[in-house]
Amino acid sequence: MRPEPGGPSDALLDRARRGDARAFEQLALEIERPLYRHAARMLGHDDAEDVVQDALLSAWKSMASFEGTSFRAWVFRIVTNRALDRLRSRKRRPELPLDPPTENDDSMSWAEPVAQDPELADLAADREALRVVEEALATIPADQRAALLLRDVEGFAYEEIATITSTEIGTVKSRIHRGRLAVRNVLISRGWKGSSG
Amino acid sequence: MHPFGDLSAYMDGALSSEARASVEAHLDTCALCRTRLAELRGTARLIAALPAPVPSRSLVPRVSVPLWLAPLRTLATFASGAAIFLFLASAVIAYFPRMQSAGTASAPAPNAVSAPQASNAGGAATVAPSSQDFQLSPSPAPGVTTARSPVGPSATPSDAAKEVGRQDSGAPSLNTLSDRSRAVGAQEPAPFAFLLSPALWLVLAIVFGALSFIVGRRLRSA
Repeated sequence: MRPEPGGPSDALLDRARRGDARAFEQLALEIERPLYRHAARMLGHDDAEDVVQDALLSAWKSMASFEGTSFRAWVFRIVTNRALDRLRSRKRRPELPLDPPTENDDSMSWAEPVAQDPELADLAADREALRVVEEALATIPADQRAALLLRDVEGFAYEEIATITSTEIGTVKSRIHRGRLAVRNVLISRGWKGSSG
Repeated sequence: MHPFGDLSAYMDGALSSEARASVEAHLDTCALCRTRLAELRGTARLIAALPAPVPSRSLVPRVSVPLWLAPLRTLATFASGAAIFLFLASAVIAYFPRMQSAGTASAPAPNAVSAPQASNAGGAATVAPSSQDFQLSPSPAPGVTTARSPVGPSATPSDAAKEVGRQDSGAPSLNTLSDRSRAVGAQEPAPFAFLLSPALWLVLAIVFGALSFIVGRRLRSA
């Protein structure tokens, strides 16, 4: 999924840095789908396409000044920041702060499984479980959602997520755990038997 | 004390070696934490298994395409459409001349004659000497001059000149010169007459259409 260091993408990256537009387009094409997937789960379909396109255009304009080694992480950072900015500007759900007051992760509550229902006990094997996960992701704070998606879907390491979201690793660790726990609690409340999944 | 807050980092391999060893030691003795860890793993697997949405269009900006190419395609498309319209309009005008001539015939004037008529008249005036011109023309009855003038296409300047010449036979050369100069003036095409040529607009429509097609292919292939 990720390009190996010294591979063809590195050569493309060098060419793109020197202003080769076709090399940049090829690099962007490789991560277009993951970028859209991430933006769509952060924002929904309508805004995701615009955000990704704007982010890629912005990346091209500042390509000469890019000094990092991971083009993918760099563009994900642009997309994530733009998605969070757009969510802040929406203000549709002021009751859901982007980053709620910190509480000790150890003290967060763990929902207990409801009475074992044979038909609901194994949601993991059902498409229904995925729908519940999507619903749960939509209800958690955006910063947690961003960190959780970057980790569980895109496979970034905690250090990379800290760079992408411009936060400390401790904050990333907390956001991922809290977001994952929130989704788990929603699943458990719907009858999911976590240990079986 | 359960290390709940470290379970996610533990399963992601993001703990320091000491913290990881501590969590592992706890997991060996705590069934509840093992259950919680399994739930978190299952949750992460479900999140990773979510169906990937697909964009409805390409999101990669075509930075390798010159900026002026897209406006050029739009311009060529519009120009092609306009040329098709003008082609149809000029074709209608060219192939239905009777409508136009019928409109002008109702109010004839010496300067409003059509080109073929004028050229015929001019040819007669230039080839035939003025005396022959008088001889070849029929001899109308007196008073016919005013009666013939509104007839239409047959009421050409040469006829009018004949009538005038007959009335003023003392100076036939002057009438012939006037008739000749009028004929020469009618033979010269209008300066923008070529704009009424359907072929011109057809060619332009094809050229602009081809340009739009070629630029569109270039944009799509980029």
